[in-house]
Amino acid sequence: MSDVQRRKYSQEERSTIFDGEFMPHIDSMYNFAFRLTFDEDDAKDLVQDTYMKAFRFINSFEQGTNAKAWLFRILKNSFINDYRKKSKKPATVDYQEVETFYNSDDADYQRTSDLRAESVRDMLGDEISNALNGLAVDFRTVIILADLEGFTYEEMAKILDIPIGTVRSRLHRARNLLKDTLKGYAQSMGYATDDEED
Amino acid sequence: MPQTMRRTKQVVMENKEESSPERKLQCNDVSKCFQLLERILDGELVEGGNEMLQEKLDKCQPCFAHFHLEQAIREVLKTKCTKQPVPDKLAESIRQMIQDAR
Repeated sequence: MSDVQRRKYSQEERSTIFDGEFMPHIDSMYNFAFRLTFDEDDAKDLVQDTYMKAFRFINSFEQGTNAKAWLFRILKNSFINDYRKKSKKPATVDYQEVETFYNSDDADYQRTSDLRAESVRDMLGDEISNALNGLAVDFRTVIILADLEGFTYEEMAKILDIPIGTVRSRLHRARNLLKDTLKGYAQSMGYATDDEED
Repeated sequence: MPQTMRRTKQVVMENKEESSPERKLQCNDVSKCFQLLERILDGELVEGGNEMLQEKLDKCQPCFAHFHLEQAIREVLKTKCTKQPVPDKLAESIRQMIQDAR
């Protein structure tokens, strides 16, 4: 939520913004919530909470700016504050831990993958989805935002409250992890990878 | 022969269409090149990016392979990930909650 309360919208303006700029994103919001929680009821609650908060704080939304990014930020914060804590699943690896683990950006970029583009294109939707869902939540999140929802680095930085450089490197790592999983699938399915004969 | 070189050679031999005699088999600056390619694929404008990209794809096999793999990953994520249908009454219940809150 933006920090400055710019002005007060009239009741009519609030309805217009809510219906015209917020509600059209319900599909993306629900899918984001579901990919975070893996539970239909939790996803529903998370989306409802997000829309309630959006309505309460509507005066801090500047009409005509990116409503989708604004809503995603609220949803992601609600998830961290309310859902991550009470989640029945054991906590996945945390942002900081992971980022300390991979402390060298440069070394990470040196990695080349044996996975082939054609093998990736041959994969089924379920395989792609499973690989994505298997990533730790912080890595999963950046891929959802960038590749499924098409947010820019700058928008992602705002949604996640992290610097653009961190967005870029986290995304790069997330895709590398995804490639590792896909490579495993490719090998078990007998699709070609370049190092099969190693 | 270094591992990467052997692999690259294999790709070249296996897939003639993807290879070009013009392309070098070893990239001198993988880290910088791959970062650049990934930024371009993510739609982040890099000054002179298109020219640089064309040059890399024409002349460097590791860059060529990396670009196409990264492109495929983005493409399948965008088009193949299973979508969760939004529950029928969700929008309605949100509107009701807002109504009640007023």
